[in-house]
Amino acid sequence: MRIMVLKKRDLILILFFLLVGIFLIFLFNYPQQTGIAIVEQNGAEICRFDLQKQNRTEEINVGDKYNVRLKIEPGAISFIHSDCPDQICVKTGKISKPGQAAVCLPAKISVKITGNKKTHDGYTG
Amino acid sequence: MKNISNLNISNRTRSVAFNGLLAALALTLSAVELMLPPIPLMPPGAKLGLSNIITMYAASQVGLIPALCIAVIKGLFAGITRGATAMMMSLSGGVLSTFITWALLHLKKNPFGLIGLGVAGALSHNAAQLLVAMLLTTPAVIYYLPFLIIFGVIFGIITGLVLRVIMPLLGKFIIE
Repeated sequence: MRIMVLKKRDLILILFFLLVGIFLIFLFNYPQQTGIAIVEQNGAEICRFDLQKQNRTEEINVGDKYNVRLKIEPGAISFIHSDCPDQICVKTGKISKPGQAAVCLPAKISVKITGNKKTHDGYTG
Repeated sequence: MKNISNLNISNRTRSVAFNGLLAALALTLSAVELMLPPIPLMPPGAKLGLSNIITMYAASQVGLIPALCIAVIKGLFAGITRGATAMMMSLSGGVLSTFITWALLHLKKNPFGLIGLGVAGALSHNAAQLLVAMLLTTPAVIYYLPFLIIFGVIFGIITGLVLRVIMPLLGKFIIE
């Protein structure tokens, strides 16, 4: 059976589905990929960063007993240094999505990200 | 070069050998696909669907039953190598897309060219997988739909173009 490579209907099909896909992207109004990073010490908020709007990389020092250095960059936040012995917070690496958190227990500092819009519990796939 | 079809073998033997060859090709392509690096922007778990080329070929040139058999073998292979979830995904997508391709080809007047068939196959493949994923996990995976549609179109076009190239090559082995 010989089949033509491209027919006019193929183009219609392709265009139709591309438009449907693009339309759905707008329709679903995707939750932002990142959110607001909230830095807490002893359970009390000490500062927050809107990672969505963050457009440059900065580093801040927090903590008293242990010196902790946080790096805030567009769309992500991470512990880059901590004087604590276990270094779990540093090993956590960058966090960027709502629901993620990084904690330095010895310094009692935690960073968690919350969505600034209604978001979903999680994605699977 | 002598075509295989000129050799003195019974048709039945030839068709068994040919279908085995197609199944092996499909499995090889699935395996190769797993080695490729993930494509950025693509939803996790989404793949090129290279082995669809083979099921499409079988659906168009050999017949529905052999094509479905290849899709099922592909699903079992996914089950053995990547677990039950992968098997469900592969089976649902493979069987539906094979059937859709075959059905479109056997409409009174085949409405689509190879590219259109590839796109239809890829989209039905993704649709079936998405449904299974929704049943197996959470309805939230519906949020992949737009990306699955867009990538389905792109990969469908690729499938159609590749098919254009390999059809005459595989055709040399076809049995009459």
